[in-house]
Amino acid sequence: MASGFWGGYALPTAIVVGEVIAVVVPLLIAIAYFTYAERKVLAFSQLRKGPNVVGPFGLLQPIADGVKLFLKETVVPSGANRIVFVAAPMVTFTLALVAWAVIPFDYGIVIANINVGILYLFAISSLSVYGIIMAGWASNSRYAFLGALRSAAQMVSYEVSIGFVLVTVLLCAGSLNLTDIVMAQQHIWFCIPLLPMFVIFFVSGLAETNRAPFDLPEGESELVAGYFVEYSAMTFALFFLGEYGNMILVSAMTTILFLGGWLAPFGVVPFTWVPGPVWLALKVAFVCFCFLWVRATFPRFRYDQLMRLGWKVFLPFSLLWLVLTAGVLTGMGWVPVR
Amino acid sequence: MIIQTIMFYAFSAVAVASGVMVVSARNPVHSVLFLILAFFNAAGLFVLMGAEFLAMILVIVYVGAVAVLFLFVVMMLDVDFARLRSGFLRYLPIGALIGFILLAELILIFGSWELAPSVATAKAAPMLVGGISLTNTRALGDLIYTRYIFAFQTAGVILLVAMIGAIVLTLRHRVGTRRQSIAAQLARTRAQSVEVVKVRVGEPVDGV
Amino acid sequence: MHSFAPPALLPALPELVLVCSAMLLLLIGVFRGEGSSRLVSWLAVLALVVTLGLAVRVGLEPRVSFYGMFVTDPFAAFMKTLVLLGSAVTILMGMRYFEDHGIARFEFPVLVMLASTGMMIMVSANDLITLYLGLELQSLALYVVASFDRDSPRSSEAGLKYFVLGALASGLLLYGASLVYGFTGTTNFAALATAVSSGGAPSAGLIIGLVFVAIGLAFKVSAVPFHMWTPDVYEGAPTPVTAFFAVSTKMAAIALFIRFLVEPFGPLLAEWRQIIVFLSVASMILGSVAAIAQSNIKRLMAYSSIGHIGYALIGLAVGTSSGIRGVLVYMAIYLFMNLGTWAVILCMRRNGQMAEGIADLAGLARTQPGLALALAIFMFAMAGVPPTAGFFSKLYIFLAAIDAHLNGLAIIGVLASVVGAFYYLRIVKVMYFDEPLAAFDRPISAELKGVLLVTAIVTLFFILLPDPIVGPAQAAAASLFGK
Repeated sequence: MASGFWGGYALPTAIVVGEVIAVVVPLLIAIAYFTYAERKVLAFSQLRKGPNVVGPFGLLQPIADGVKLFLKETVVPSGANRIVFVAAPMVTFTLALVAWAVIPFDYGIVIANINVGILYLFAISSLSVYGIIMAGWASNSRYAFLGALRSAAQMVSYEVSIGFVLVTVLLCAGSLNLTDIVMAQQHIWFCIPLLPMFVIFFVSGLAETNRAPFDLPEGESELVAGYFVEYSAMTFALFFLGEYGNMILVSAMTTILFLGGWLAPFGVVPFTWVPGPVWLALKVAFVCFCFLWVRATFPRFRYDQLMRLGWKVFLPFSLLWLVLTAGVLTGMGWVPVR
Repeated sequence: MIIQTIMFYAFSAVAVASGVMVVSARNPVHSVLFLILAFFNAAGLFVLMGAEFLAMILVIVYVGAVAVLFLFVVMMLDVDFARLRSGFLRYLPIGALIGFILLAELILIFGSWELAPSVATAKAAPMLVGGISLTNTRALGDLIYTRYIFAFQTAGVILLVAMIGAIVLTLRHRVGTRRQSIAAQLARTRAQSVEVVKVRVGEPVDGV
Repeated sequence: MHSFAPPALLPALPELVLVCSAMLLLLIGVFRGEGSSRLVSWLAVLALVVTLGLAVRVGLEPRVSFYGMFVTDPFAAFMKTLVLLGSAVTILMGMRYFEDHGIARFEFPVLVMLASTGMMIMVSANDLITLYLGLELQSLALYVVASFDRDSPRSSEAGLKYFVLGALASGLLLYGASLVYGFTGTTNFAALATAVSSGGAPSAGLIIGLVFVAIGLAFKVSAVPFHMWTPDVYEGAPTPVTAFFAVSTKMAAIALFIRFLVEPFGPLLAEWRQIIVFLSVASMILGSVAAIAQSNIKRLMAYSSIGHIGYALIGLAVGTSSGIRGVLVYMAIYLFMNLGTWAVILCMRRNGQMAEGIADLAGLARTQPGLALALAIFMFAMAGVPPTAGFFSKLYIFLAAIDAHLNGLAIIGVLASVVGAFYYLRIVKVMYFDEPLAAFDRPISAELKGVLLVTAIVTLFFILLPDPIVGPAQAAAASLFGK
């Protein structure tokens, strides 16, 4: 029985744990350096220098920030609902990590290659709103609550059009499996035939991650810091990590759905020498850069404009495009059958 | 198999426990959070049964959309649960009686339960077509758009009615609110909005 | 891939036409904006009439479609005719009312059309899934129209009450349906019928499932003891909506009740008869006794409709072709007398306010003799006084009951109608012998006049020409047992 236990349970568990560590550790480093990248990119676009004191080119800045947050005291406001208050950042952070279970880094390199990968991602991204509303409610503060309400309304609204975009993509790919979706882009990346949906997805992704120009839930000029105004030290750090993790996740989703995932841009020799995961990382980095670029460029939306864009522009348009895609696929006999 | 069994009991136990907490929690927000936990465990049970599509849809629709709005409302309302519960003891006997009758019926029913011999084959049948195993997304799609097309379309009409109903009962056109008219803003020309006036020192400007 | 033949659309043509025109009218309403309610209402009436014609034509012979989920036959055609008549007349009667109350919105006719679609699906249900979806489509639209006067607390309360209890009823029905499915392995009515008739003694689970579905349906027809919502909802909802509740809803629910019990569960007549007998006796007695104390005419009509459902259920308890024919004739005549009565109630306005008390009718014979005569005809008919149509509708039912040796039920029915006659005739007495109050507002709108005239003629002269109702009812009942 002992060999059965070791071979049947312990070894697979150890392998899974190893896989998880192999994904999470680089991810956390990426998140840390994404915050650094943000400060640098914003600085350059504003003709400043950005962090340049801690380490060469300020490269150790994220580590210093992390240590600072780790050593500070966690303050729980006296009127707060303790359990929910502490649980909220954990929810945000955990959700930002678990979504990576289905992201394929190359053909066959994925922790869980499930049939409904795209739905799993959609489900996880629709859950991330919970961390925010729980935080807003549990803080027992008006700023935080307003931020939470804004964020809930905003995320639910933009999820609808994201859902339609996903349906268009899966119509073209004929599968809900993320590896299949990437493989369906061997001839042409979906960002070309589905360009409008690509744009909608990217913009909705900005709204879904509460990024500028849709950062009303934080809205520092009106709500101080929105839903995490009462958070400090490690609880704040978890929110921070979760938020940047979500951004990288949305970039990865964009890459997989529209930019051909790990595929090389051209299937010819110099490009195919570069391994798949590197291509994926490059593309994700580019989309992440676009997030920062947008933040440096556009002013914040007003709340009614935000809602109008979601419900009156994106929703009808993506619905129309969905019908159009389905019609073209059926009419031309291009429906993918697997 | 052992892991599946353990997971089954874990999911079911947590689902039942959180169901109990939904009704017994003192704070309505906690109730909703427990409801969400119950949904999650139900989704877990679906996954164990191999119905991954249903599991994901359950999470997306119920947890991701319905429960969010629910939580939203519960947080905004100032529900006084103590007052709501004031009649609880008074109605307890009759409630307990009805609950007991239902329980007795359920026990009676399960006493006479037997699995039809065709169930085992029927369960396996639609998933295998021509020897190829289907993903359950495709199997559901095959049925919904053919065999159950009438039910599917009727459900669509029901949703339309729900939408009309929500609009009829809540939409109010308030007078006096200023709405942004983007078309009007874009149609504005320079001539309409800017006027260049020569101002002479010591003389009033016309119309100002 | 499965290869499925596309389903035949012809059997569902009336429903398709109705639902498509409802969506078209919705678009017209939205694009024309406020003030389009009259146009949309007339177009809705037109669409309902066209649908009625199609339903009658399609229902001439039995057809099954959508892989056994949907059926049309003469029975369905008969009940759909009644439903659609009720809906069309509701829209006609409602136009002026909603305009006078400042709540004329184009959504009302659209919702009525969608509710009618739901009712037609209920009538044509041949599967537990179709049954439930039809019921929900109808109920959801009804919850909304019940609180259509959204600024009135009473109307909102009516909608909310109806919603909560309706949801409970749907829950019970679904619970029952799941038990039925669990114990037979099918949701299709035809397959259920084979399963039920072949299996020997029915299992306890099947019976309990049947009972729960029956309870859910009893809520919808408002049979005692599941009637509690009826008076409050009838009183609170806008009057044309109440008329719609009292007429079309009842038609669809009773048709569903009949089809569900007779088709799949016909072999279990002995089991469900007791339930129906109990519902019937309780409804007749409560409908008659509780109505006596009412002073508001809408509440009175609520109890009256509970009582009438009791009588109709006698025919269902009989469970034979002649019993079902009795129910169908009863419901047809109930439709005409009820629509007429509601038309009169809609005329009861003083200084722009609805006057809903029975005392408000005092001396109507002297101020508005025509209106008083019409109401008197309807009240006599409701009480079952010969030679009005109401007498014959009860006669068919009681005769069928005696044929089936349900003498006790027939006797209770007769006694209850004697008690019930008291409050119907009290209204006639108030109109003809009490001191007159100020006259009601005039002029009465042309639509109401037309409705009053037609319903009064049908109610009064049914005795001369019963065939247009009894003939199709006979064929409809036969079609239910022919299979």
